[in-house]
Formats: sequence, structure tokens, C-alpha cells
Amino acid sequence: MRRACAALLLIAAAPVIAQPADPVVPPPTAADWAALAKLPDWSGTWSPDVRDQVAQVTTNPVPWKPEVQKQVDVLTREEQEGRPRGLLVNCLPHGMPSLMLITHNAHEFLFTPGRVTLLGESDGNRLRRIWTDGRAMPADPDPSFHGYSIGHWEGDTLVVETRGILPQVYLAIGEAVGIPTGGDTVIRERLHLIDPDTMADDLVITAPHVLTRPWETRRLYHRTRKRSFEIVEGVCRQGDFEPSSDKWGNPVYIPTRQQDGNVLPPADPPATNP
Amino acid sequence: MFRKFTLALTALSLVTAAGTALAHHSFAMFDPAKVVTLQGKVKEFRWVNPHVSLFVDVAGGAGQSGVWAVELTSPGNLTRLGWSRQSLKPGDRVAVEVNPLRDGQHGGGFRKATLLDNGTVLQANLINIEKAAAGGH
Repeated sequence: MRRACAALLLIAAAPVIAQPADPVVPPPTAADWAALAKLPDWSGTWSPDVRDQVAQVTTNPVPWKPEVQKQVDVLTREEQEGRPRGLLVNCLPHGMPSLMLITHNAHEFLFTPGRVTLLGESDGNRLRRIWTDGRAMPADPDPSFHGYSIGHWEGDTLVVETRGILPQVYLAIGEAVGIPTGGDTVIRERLHLIDPDTMADDLVITAPHVLTRPWETRRLYHRTRKRSFEIVEGVCRQGDFEPSSDKWGNPVYIPTRQQDGNVLPPADPPATNP
Repeated sequence: MFRKFTLALTALSLVTAAGTALAHHSFAMFDPAKVVTLQGKVKEFRWVNPHVSLFVDVAGGAGQSGVWAVELTSPGNLTRLGWSRQSLKPGDRVAVEVNPLRDGQHGGGFRKATLLDNGTVLQANLINIEKAAAGGH
């Protein structure tokens, strides 16, 4: 009993841990929904200009730190000699800024009150939520692959700042050439149309652990409205498996034979069912 | 139907030295300097992400006989180039051009397939998606 009282006293004497404010997002009004109609039309499917991705890196090289450049040179050489170090074969997300820099898959944009959502094609995890409700950047957002993004509209340009990106996320210039940023990355973007069906993403990438200065670069996306261009489900790890059946005859997936992310012919003897 | 399909693909297609760009891994494990034509029957056509794969049962040829695994781009990108999951079916007689794996295993990066029974040519160059997209709606 005495011990219990002492414990209670200790608890009472402990400093109160301040709970962070947890603002409530108000429900959107009819006016909020109507305001979306005044935004530029970004509907349709946006395919990256992969040729221009390559051209951008060639004409406007990444200002890697000298010691990082050596690592980039090793990865570049490995790829050129046919031993690519696939950055994405583990199917983790590209993360930022690589999602915008090197993706070969399409994007689409959803506008809802207070938010722009970018959906990538490969996996549900190629996803960016860009908050446009006027909130401030959190002081210390939980690190994530695509970071915490706040944005605002300047005319027809979406201005975005992204922080809180995991240090393991690559700053990549290709699917086999990229360096983890090491954290403290800040990405500022201006997304806007440069003609009716071409979007430019003007990025300023600050990555102090790997770059000598912020890297300014542009990526282009082309729009189509054809149904054949609509984004379809793209589960990255599906390719790691092949269809088979279990002991009851139900269709199941079993691991497929592969090497460095690319499939190989069936093994001899063939893989057995689970 | 097939003729229309072929024409559409031909209009979209442009073979480039850059080969087929993919979304998940680099294509560098395949040797772009070598082209092997596999003649055989489709064993399996896996219409899955992140890469569609085609398994071809090759009957003959020096060092070629056996099953080859051929990788293509994603279903989404192939759809944009006019393909569907029905474009190739098990049993189809095909001639498939690939850039082979550098290590000699029976795998390759897809370049072109010809359906031998009707002459349909299938190609899969991402550059054509960009061209189609850059061409507007």
C-alpha cells in the first residue's frame, strides 16, 4: 500500500508531456468544391518524357560532391558494363525527388478541397499528397519516401515544398544510378503547363549531404486523354511471382525464378507447389 | 482486325538503338549489341507488372533450344502501344527478336515479335508512347 502510494506520488510529480496540437480539418463547403473549377485543368494521364529526362541530366549535370561523384561513376560504369545495380528492384517506392526525376510510368492528378494528390502508375505507393489548405510545414515531419508536401497556387502554377524525406531515398538519374540523399533534403517545385498538353515540373533540389549546391532541373510530362493511356493497377511485386495452384487446386502465386529483378526460364527441375 | 492492329503498331513503332526502356530495373543486363531471333511457340505470356514477360519454347538452333524468358515493359505501357493481354497466346508460333542476357542464360530483352501464322508484328518502344502523348489527345 505504501509502495503504491509512492508510485502514485511519482506519477503525479512527473512533468506533463505536452501533446502537439491536433488541428481538425473542417469539412469542405460548397464554395470549396466550386473553387476547384477555377484551377487549371490537369485531368488526363501525364506520361513522362523519358528522352528529356536523359537530356536534362546530360546537359545539366547533377552537382554531386566530388566524393559522391566517384560513387556515381562506379554505378554508371557498372550499368554500362552490363551489371546494373537496380535501385528499384526491391519494389520500395521511388521516393522524392526520384519519382519526378526518373519514372517511366504515368502520373495523374486529383484535385479535392485543400489538397492535390498525385498518383503514380506503379503501385499504390507511388503517391504524393500535397496539402494546399494553408497549413504550415510541420516542424519535424515523420520521414517518409515521398516526404511531407505543402503547396499553394500562384496563378496556374502549383508551388510545392517537400521535406521529411527518408535518408535512404535515392537522388537518382537512372534506374541503376542513384545515391541516397542522407536526409535533410528540401525540394521546391513549380508545376505548370507550358502548352495545353505539356506540364513542366521545375525542381530545385537541396540535398546538402550529396550536392555542392541546390540542383535546378526540369522534367516534362505529356498529356493524353485516350482511354488506352488511363492508369491501370501496377503491383510491383506481382512480377516476383508466377501463377500456380495449391494442393486443393486453388489458384495461388508462388515465387518465380529471377535474377536481379528480371525473370528467368523455369528451373530444372521446376519449382514445386507450396 | 489483325491488319488494323498491325498497321496501328507499325505507325507507332520506331526501332531505336536505345531499345525498350523499362520501369523497374535497368535493361543493362541484356546485351544491346547482340540480337538473337528465337523461333518457337509461346509457352506463357504473363501480363503483369512491373514487366510483362513472354516465355518462348524454342525447338532448335545452336545453343538456343529450351525455354527462353523475355522481358517487356509494363502492361500499362504496352496497352498504350496497342497491345493487350491477348496479343500473344500459348501455342502461337512466333519469331522473337531479343537482346540476350550477357551471362548466356536463356533470357532476353524484347525487341520485336512476329506472329508467324499471320505476319502480325509487335513492337514495344516507349519512345512511341512519348510521341503519341506529345502528339496530343
